[in-house]
Parts: sequence; structure tokens; C-alpha cells
Amino acid sequence: MIVKEAKVEVMPIPKKKSETWSRVWYFRHAYLFMLPAVIWYLVFSYYPMYGVLIAFKDFKYNLGIMGSPWEGLRFFKQFLNDSSFYSVLKNTLSISGLKLLFGFPAPLVLALMLNAVMRSKIKRIFQTISYLPHFVSWVVVVTLMQKILSPNVGLVNDIREKMGLDSIFFMGMPSLFYPLVISSDIWKGIGWGSIIYLAALTNIDPHLYEAAEMDGAGRWSKLFKITLPTLVPTIGILLIFSLSGILNAGFDQIWLMQTPATLSVSEILDTYVLKTGIQQGQFAYSTAIGLFKSAISLVLIITVNKVAKKVSDVSLW
Amino acid sequence: MGTRRMSAADKIYSTLNYTVLFLFCLTALYPFIYFLALSFNDGYDAMKGGIYFYPRVFTLENYSKAFNNPQVLNAFWISVSRTLIVTLCSVMLTSLLAYGLSRKGLPGRKYIVFFFFFTTLFSGGLIPTFILYRQIHIIDTYWVLVLPVLYDFFNAIVMKTFFDGIPPSLSESARIDGASELSVFARIILPLSMPVLATIALFVGVGVWNDWFTGQFFISKENLQPAATFLNKMISEASFQTMTGSGGGSSIQNMSQSQMELRGVTPEALRMTFVIIITTPILCVYPFLQRFFVKGVLVGSLKE
Repeated sequence: MIVKEAKVEVMPIPKKKSETWSRVWYFRHAYLFMLPAVIWYLVFSYYPMYGVLIAFKDFKYNLGIMGSPWEGLRFFKQFLNDSSFYSVLKNTLSISGLKLLFGFPAPLVLALMLNAVMRSKIKRIFQTISYLPHFVSWVVVVTLMQKILSPNVGLVNDIREKMGLDSIFFMGMPSLFYPLVISSDIWKGIGWGSIIYLAALTNIDPHLYEAAEMDGAGRWSKLFKITLPTLVPTIGILLIFSLSGILNAGFDQIWLMQTPATLSVSEILDTYVLKTGIQQGQFAYSTAIGLFKSAISLVLIITVNKVAKKVSDVSLW
Repeated sequence: MGTRRMSAADKIYSTLNYTVLFLFCLTALYPFIYFLALSFNDGYDAMKGGIYFYPRVFTLENYSKAFNNPQVLNAFWISVSRTLIVTLCSVMLTSLLAYGLSRKGLPGRKYIVFFFFFTTLFSGGLIPTFILYRQIHIIDTYWVLVLPVLYDFFNAIVMKTFFDGIPPSLSESARIDGASELSVFARIILPLSMPVLATIALFVGVGVWNDWFTGQFFISKENLQPAATFLNKMISEASFQTMTGSGGGSSIQNMSQSQMELRGVTPEALRMTFVIIITTPILCVYPFLQRFFVKGVLVGSLKE
């Protein structure tokens, strides 16, 4: 590529190592274009990374991050010895595990169904409608749920009462919390999630199907022998993302859906961090839990990516 | 394909497929239809139940009350201005970054990419971010609504992938004619990149429009609350009342006083109306950008 470019450049790109500085000078505008981003990332991403030091300190505002006295691993020991931490961890893993189990295959199924629709106009209408929930805020989704499930003339209870059944406060029942979380998550994400599979499906050569049909392949053998194998790289990459995000159970959704009655099953790491940190002001303790979460997530994504690279040629980097 | 005759089994499958997809789309749409019906219905009448698809006692009162409420108007003004400012700045800054990253032969490009990519793998977390905002004094100011959401590396990668697909010969011939790097970017790259710019503008715009978190935790001033945060405060107040048993039909007066000093309109009907108002702009924009974001933009980013 570079050689080809150099032929037509007014100022050829210098290539020898000794000429690095003149190359840098040649690209000075490109660096200048990236400068705002570098500054922004230093301030808004890297400075908070330095700020995680307060997890090891008895943080006092007036002393600053560096000036506050060191506390070692006290806060890590504190939450590791706290039984409520384990219930929070268990809730987090339960919710993201269930989301992975039910929510992960859902967009794939939808994509396969949409792919079977031959009339492109109808297909596009279906698709447009399926994207709608993705574009609305969780605040709106939870408002919709609260009204539809409200014990106070909500849609479901309204119908139940007409059938002579008792009204139920759905959002306040711990046993219904996970089903509601999973179903609303699928409702919101299924259409958007299917885009990527649909795009991969359009890359399949139709001749493959025709050839398979000539060999007498039926619907299911075409699905399992042609369609699904083509989607494996896409599925693999999305699975890497999902697995490494296992400690993210979905802050917005859970925070907005939880009620005091469901706290025993609905408190997750992110909501716990926010409550202990911002609402109760235990900065160091909360940061320690946050750091625990980020560190495990980092290790997870590196490991999953490495394993994926080894067993297949699918990987993020 | 169309010339081939469908077998009976094919027909059954196809019908079943259409039926399930139709029901699925109904599920995606219905909650909004339900809210639309309630927002155009008299609030007190709605409490009798039985409204599912269209209003029973039609009224525009809910909308006129909402649009005449200074708090509601202010919340929407904050959201609209914030969305426009952030979308414009973010698309500009992100495209500059993406263009820089897409320059072939840039010394140190690998390290620069890593510098940005690492932030997607590891973050300082909530509290250090909160401390940063306090130290740079943006808490409770308009700045906190704008500055922290200017960049998202995922968007930069999507743009970079698109720029990579533009034939290099185009910008090179411009350089031969003596065009500066900025004019190559502005006159050649940007005009060819409208699909990706529109897509990123949509992603950023929707994200900012829907963000309730910033307003909830980093802003306490009433007059800086964005619409999404305002809606969240409306619902959490209502659900608190449901929980403590003071909500419902018995204490509408009580609720309206605490919420907005409204008469003739129930707070519940007002919430439905608010949901419709906050959803409409999104509904008006995304279907028109669909052909852009569907066409390979996302796939390209995955390959990176």
C-alpha cells in the first residue's frame, strides 16, 4: 500500500528509520487531528484509571488522591468478608447468565426468520418495527412496563380483573423479577441484535443453496449445513463480547426496575457500587468493588479472546 | 427463486413464519399504541380501565398541559440543545480522530490505536469519574451534559473502517494539486462519508437523548434536568407512592400537588403523554437512516 501511495505523493513518504522524524513531520496534520481525542481520553479515561488508587487509600477530598493515607487492601478485605457482597455477586451472575442463555440466541432466531421472508418490502417493515425498542431509553421501557403491569388499572391487571382474577403487583415480586428482566431485555434488544446476523446472511452465495437442493437437501439440512456454519464467526465474536461482559448485568435496566421489595434478588455489582459510593459516600469501599469488577472483566476478555483464538480463528484482536 | 412452486410444507412454514413475525412486531409496537391511546384519553376516565387501542373520552388536555408546563418545556429544551450540541461536536471530533487513524504509514499508529482501545477494556469506574468531575468543577453545570460524552471509540472504529474503504487515489490526486490535509478531509473524505456520518450522528444523538444517568447523579439543579431524567423522577415518585399504598385512585389530588400542581389532568395521564413526546423524535428519525446503518456499517466494524 505504502509503495503505491509513495509513487504519486508530492512529498514521498520517507521510509528509512533514520527518517522517522521527517515521517512524523509529514503526518503532522494527522497527529493534530487526533490531538483533541488524546487529551480527552487522558482526562476522561486515563485520569479516572489513576483515580482507582483511592481503593487502597482512606480518601479525603481535601487531601486529594495522592495525599490521602494508604490503607492497603483493607477495603478489599472488607467486601470479601461481607456476606451481602456475595449475594450481590450471585445476583449479577444469575442475571447475566440468564441473559446469555435466553437473550443471546433470540436475535439469531429472529434473523433466520426474517431471512426466510422473501418479499423485501414486508421484510423491511418487520425490520424497522423490530429496531424501535432499541432506540428508546430504558426509562421509557420501564415506564411502559410499570404501567402495563401496574396493580392500579394497568393493562394486565385490568384484564385479570375483568376475568375475575386478583390484581397482582408484578414489579414488586422477587420471584417475577428475573423473568421480567430477561423478557424486557429481549424485547428491547432482539431486533437490533439481528442486524449483524442478517448482514452476514446476505453474504451467503445463493448458488450454495441451489446446489444443495439439487443434492436433495431439505430445509433443516440447509439450515444446519450452510446457514449456521456461515454465521459461526459472527456468533463467536458476539459470544466473546457477552462472556467478557458477564459482570455487567445491565445497570440502567436493573436500577430502574428494582424496587425495595425485590432488592434481595435485584441488587447487582453496578447498583451496589453506586449506592455505597455516591449515595452513602463510602468512596474507597465502592471504588474497591468497582476495581475488582473491572480487573476481572479485563482478565476475562483477554482469556476468552486467547482461548477463542486457539480453538478457532475467531478473535477480537 | 420465485418461479419455483411452493410445496405444501413450504406453505405451512411460510405462513407460520409470517404469523410469528407479525405477532412479534405487534409486541414491539403495542406498548406505544397503548400509551398513545391513554395520552389522548381523559385521565379520570382512563382510571376505569378498558382502554386498549384507542381513546374512549378523547382529549388534547394532556398535551396542552404538558406543553404549557415550564418545567416540562425546560427539560425538553435542555435535551434538545444538548443533543444538537453533542451530536455536532462528537461527529466532528470523532471523524477527525478516525481520519487520523486511517492514514496509512502513520508512525506509531499501532501504539495510538492501543492507547484508545485500552479504554474500552478497562475503566476507572464510577467513583474516580465522579471525583474527576468534581475536581474539574463540571458537576451541576451544563458542561457535565456535554464533555463526558464527546467520544466513543467504537464510533471512531466504525468511521475508520468506512474511511479505509475510500480509494486512496482520490485524496492523493488532491494532494498533488496542493490541497492541504484539512481540505482533503473536508472536501473529499467527508462528502463521501455521509452514510457513516449519519449513522454515527444517529447513535450519538439517540444515546444522548436517552441518557437519564448524568442528569440523575451529576446534576441537582432543577433547571438543568434533561427530559429523560425528568421522566425518571416522575416515575420513581409514582412507584414510591404505589409501594407505600398512597398511590392509585384515592390520592390523585395528593399526587398532582406533589408533582406539578395540575388540575383536570392526572399525573398518570401526564406520564403517558410525556413518554409519547419523548419517543416521537426518535421515531421520526431512525427509520430514515435505516438503510445507512443496516448496510454493512456494523459488519465492517466487527471485522476490525
